[in-house]
Amino acid sequence: MKPNHRYAIVVVFAFLVVASTAVWGQPSSPQRVEISFAGRLEGKPFACGAQYEGVGTKKSTVTPQDLRFFVSEVELVDANGKGVPVALDQDGIWQYKSAALIDLEDGTGACRNGNAATHAAVTGSVPDGHYTGLRFTVGVPFELNHGDTLSAPSPLNMTAMFWSWQGGYKFIRAEVALVTNVAEAAKRSPRSAVQKAGVHTDAPADPTRSSGFPVHLGSTGCASAAPSAAPPTECKHPNRVVVTLPEFDPAKEIVIFDLGKLLADSDVSTNAPNTAPGCMSAENDPDCVPIMRALGLPLRGSPAGTQEVFYREAK
Amino acid sequence: MISLKRPDCGKRCPRRLPTVFLLLAILALVSFCGPVWWRAQAQGSQQSQPAFQWTKPDWAPVPIVPSDNAMNNAKVELGRLLFYDKRLSIDETMSCGSCHQQARAFTDGERTHRGVNGLPGNRNAMTLTNVAYYPTYTWANPIITSLEKQMLVPLFGDHPLEMGMVGHEDELIARLARDTDYPALFATAFPEDGGRVDLPHITKAIAAFERTLLSFNSPYDRYKHGDASAISASAKRGEALFFGERLECYHCHDGINFTDNNIQQGQAFPEKGFHNTGLYNEDDQGAYKPWDHGLRDVTLRAEDEGAFRTPTLRNVAITAPYMHDGSLPTLQAVIRQHYAVKGHSSVAGKGPNPLRSEFIEGFKLSDREVQDLIAFLNSLTDQSFLHDPAFSDPREIASSAVRKKSGPPTNGGSHAKQE
Repeated sequence: MKPNHRYAIVVVFAFLVVASTAVWGQPSSPQRVEISFAGRLEGKPFACGAQYEGVGTKKSTVTPQDLRFFVSEVELVDANGKGVPVALDQDGIWQYKSAALIDLEDGTGACRNGNAATHAAVTGSVPDGHYTGLRFTVGVPFELNHGDTLSAPSPLNMTAMFWSWQGGYKFIRAEVALVTNVAEAAKRSPRSAVQKAGVHTDAPADPTRSSGFPVHLGSTGCASAAPSAAPPTECKHPNRVVVTLPEFDPAKEIVIFDLGKLLADSDVSTNAPNTAPGCMSAENDPDCVPIMRALGLPLRGSPAGTQEVFYREAK
Repeated sequence: MISLKRPDCGKRCPRRLPTVFLLLAILALVSFCGPVWWRAQAQGSQQSQPAFQWTKPDWAPVPIVPSDNAMNNAKVELGRLLFYDKRLSIDETMSCGSCHQQARAFTDGERTHRGVNGLPGNRNAMTLTNVAYYPTYTWANPIITSLEKQMLVPLFGDHPLEMGMVGHEDELIARLARDTDYPALFATAFPEDGGRVDLPHITKAIAAFERTLLSFNSPYDRYKHGDASAISASAKRGEALFFGERLECYHCHDGINFTDNNIQQGQAFPEKGFHNTGLYNEDDQGAYKPWDHGLRDVTLRAEDEGAFRTPTLRNVAITAPYMHDGSLPTLQAVIRQHYAVKGHSSVAGKGPNPLRSEFIEGFKLSDREVQDLIAFLNSLTDQSFLHDPAFSDPREIASSAVRKKSGPPTNGGSHAKQE
């Protein structure tokens, strides 16, 4: 009996060792993350086709034309302030490597140059842990920003976000149309082929009066590239916005993109003479000063500050 | 399992491999190796295809082609169809050929062209003459280094809006995929990857067609290569003026294409020349018009104010109006009211532009000398380029052929140039 007894002890011990390593040795299961975004304009939810009063310094009435932006390098932040990268789901449509396109327009109303598909939440996973905050960058990372746009995988192949002239992508495409102009244009040529195709034909008689206020944020002053090579160094104005929300609970809260705050100090009814419509990130466009300030980006001697466009809110 | 022994070799005789196993092995070998062999054969036959034949004189350099867009005749013909296809604009009113018309050496005769929204652009449509040899594209953009990238600006740009397809790539692809001919033409043009109708293939095919737009048959070319009587005595005097130190034209307008922008096979480094010619001086500090600062708009460097890429002078006599904004109507005006007076800003702005090229110091020229210089510039016009059927709209050829007789199919009549 004694040898058998000893044998049983060995078996039990071995079983315990195997069982415990099986439990401890397994990597802790990754934690799913979903961070939702929503648009906001003058305190109301962003919706294509809706009208919003009191926008900008002249309290203009506008209707949205577009709201899309890239977020990248998303991190959950632990209690010590340490950021842990969220590995984004590689869904083949909206998310590629560390970049995700948030698309809040649905192609209706004046957003007719957009499309029906929307993407309002970044999804991915982080190692299991206790996280208290959120950090992300608005923009496409430099190493993804200057490749071949046509052979790039989705969402980096969506032409609405191309910025071929500057090289790279628009990081933010946020556009509003003045409601008065839209109505006048509709009266003038309700069925013109161009309008049917969704392109604005209304050239305002007063050159400073704008038909709308597009904001296109992206890197500018990108170095001359060797043929078929990306610029070797970062652009003069990278124009990426790092958003930090020290307290954020993805289960209970969402991130707001407040278009009203972006445009708060702009007169969206006029365009500075001889500059691009709205603000297209040009260094010399006075219309960009309040836009960049709202995003916390430096421009024309105005220093970098704190962005006011993105904030958290209860679901 | 079947096992057979040779009757004459007894126990030492090695057992023959089971026949079924043998058959299976052969089958396996064929099924695994067959495709590999077939692919190798296919690749071999692709490689053994003759290299693309450029239609150019031997003395003209071979253009550089991106490694991922090798030339082939089917691709060029597809690109030609696409180049002239108005479905590439949102309202189907504009093709590449709207601004780049063959009879005008692929310009449009306008100061600037209106986009699909009816609003004029800022810049004059450039000639596509010998466009394969440029290291950068558009009037002043050092980061657009290929034709494949350049066309994204007119196709998908929003400011200015040109063809207006921004955000509508799916519709563009659907339009072309619905066409009865395109899917097969794409497949033939891009045999290496199946040739789906998509943006990479659309842009590659158009770029391949544009690279064939070679013009080396002007009277001046014939004069330079043996035919002493190909140009007039006046043009010869104009040539001497052009290449002389009084006018200094050739400092920028030199080389095979009369521009200091060049890249070709065998050339170690691309030459990129951007210059301020003193067209404007709005503030006495050298400022150009506030809506177009030239190279500076991209580089954001103050010293690049008003700098634009030197354009080719091939076919220049028929590409009026001139300058990046089409503001000077004739060659006479370019010579008399611009270069002869240290830049047009001397007569129309706040004096000579302090940022202008050091070669623009003005000159005195008699009326006869101006005529001689223009005669020289006229000798750079290549009539065969303007009328070469290989560069024309294949649909027009097809429809006129249909009118004349029962005619070839739409993609017929288009193999004239590249054999």
